[in-house]
Amino acid sequence: MSTQESNSGPARVIPNWESCIDCGACEVACQRTWDLPPESDRIQVVALGHGTEEEANKPMQCYNCVEAPCVEVCPTDALRIRDSGSVRVKADMCIGCHYCGVGCPFGAPQYPDAEVPNAEEAEPMGSRSGGLMDKCTTCEPRQEEGLEPACSSECPTDALLFGTPEQLSEKLDEDGVSTPFSDEAAEIVFGEDADEIMGD
Amino acid sequence: MATEVTFDLPYSQWNWQIGVYIAMIGIASGAYLMGYVADLLGSRRDAHGHGQVAKYGYLVGLLGLVIGPPILLSHLATPFRAMLIPLTMTNFDSWMTIGAYLLGGLGLGAFLMFVWVAFGRNRPHAPDRAERADSGAVAADGGTERDAARAATTDRTDGLRGVADRVGLLDLVDSLADTTRPSETVRLALGGVFSIAAAGVLIYSAMAYGSGMTERVALWDKTFLLPVQIFSGLGVGLAGAVGLAAVAGRNPGRAVRQYSLVTAGLLAATLAMVVATIVLLPEQSPAAEAGINNLLTTYAVPFVGLAVIGGLVVPILLSVGAVVGQRRDALSPTAATATYATIALLAVVGKIALALSYLLAAEFEPLILPL
Repeated sequence: MSTQESNSGPARVIPNWESCIDCGACEVACQRTWDLPPESDRIQVVALGHGTEEEANKPMQCYNCVEAPCVEVCPTDALRIRDSGSVRVKADMCIGCHYCGVGCPFGAPQYPDAEVPNAEEAEPMGSRSGGLMDKCTTCEPRQEEGLEPACSSECPTDALLFGTPEQLSEKLDEDGVSTPFSDEAAEIVFGEDADEIMGD
Repeated sequence: MATEVTFDLPYSQWNWQIGVYIAMIGIASGAYLMGYVADLLGSRRDAHGHGQVAKYGYLVGLLGLVIGPPILLSHLATPFRAMLIPLTMTNFDSWMTIGAYLLGGLGLGAFLMFVWVAFGRNRPHAPDRAERADSGAVAADGGTERDAARAATTDRTDGLRGVADRVGLLDLVDSLADTTRPSETVRLALGGVFSIAAAGVLIYSAMAYGSGMTERVALWDKTFLLPVQIFSGLGVGLAGAVGLAAVAGRNPGRAVRQYSLVTAGLLAATLAMVVATIVLLPEQSPAAEAGINNLLTTYAVPFVGLAVIGGLVVPILLSVGAVVGQRRDALSPTAATATYATIALLAVVGKIALALSYLLAAEFEPLILPL
């Protein structure tokens, strides 16, 4: 898969939930790669449909939504959509109000309180400490080196797909798996590319 | 491996501090607006009676803003950064940004209007000095006038003025108020401008319960929440102003009784909207059923006990009862004063309990794929 933006929109990681075996390799890869505190969950395997027959454990993280609700509600413009299409938090502008945490429909924002050595309140890697907002960065520094995000590159079952909307659509078709998003979620995540991903 | 549900409920994102903040700004904006209405009416009739409610309405507005926003700041990770509002609050798509500027406008308005009404030798709605001097009567706002000259310049023993007098600032504040106070027409016009900010804050007290464009918290449906917040803000704010005016006067007069009935009406409207939320919202939005159930079970004590019964039903009954009792001379001035103060206290506690209940009982509906 490409590691950079293509004509059909920015590259992002989405789950192929049917392949996930709940091994947690993505969480370990993320925390190890970015030296994150234990309570930071830029990606997390979560229980969905908890307590029901449909309960399943699946990976969730920031999808760098085109129509990012977190950006809309952030009072200080600490959250912005970069030219690359990724949603980034500028930790030196964040006030830790948690509005983005309530606004995000996927539960992506984190607010780790831990003190992290060498944590920098600046772009591009979020805050990681101090109660400020932190989230998945789609491993942009790795992408700049031609590498995939840590989570998708280390997932043993290819349950985390990385690519542009066009590439993701092709991958989902190849694997014959369903889209990981509802129509409403797809419109938020992919914007005008939602139809392509959803297979309409 | 980890099996936690990552979709934190709003109450884990926003704690009691947000609830108290929302309650206090609602009370502050409602008190200012009702105080301004009393201010306007006081310029036409029963100047002192309406003026007392206006003065204490502005004071409650000021107190609400002194208490609420600092509590919000204490919730933030970087409160000092947030206080640099013109530099940090730049996203006007966010209700938090809009609210910050509205609160600034309301704060300025409540301060100016309070100082202009409460202080100064030429303050509006002051007791008729000449009349008091002729009769040698006790001033309606507490001071005993002994001669015309002193009456025209002092009446220093009123609660608020007495406090300023005791700390030696009364003359200075009086002088500043008289110096800065514009003509009555301009003052009331300015008060109207600040009322726009107050009305905005009242709306913001509903919109602050927000999850943005995706609206993932069904309990916070604005169709129901907006009227609840507007009526409760106005009602509790007025209850606070009436309670303080009654305590300051110690002999609640006609104006206090009239405003007490208005308070009862506003609280009754709040009660009707809360009941409508409980009954109708789950029908219109099934996702809200979980939140409604939380209100009626897990949070029954703060919601049903403190907010609905203690903060709405009892104050409504007491308001009407106190007015009827006073009219029939069945209630002594002391008992009436105590009743109006109790109404105010119950209403404020109930408003806080209501705000907390709506926050804590809310359930977040994440956007996920169909399982």
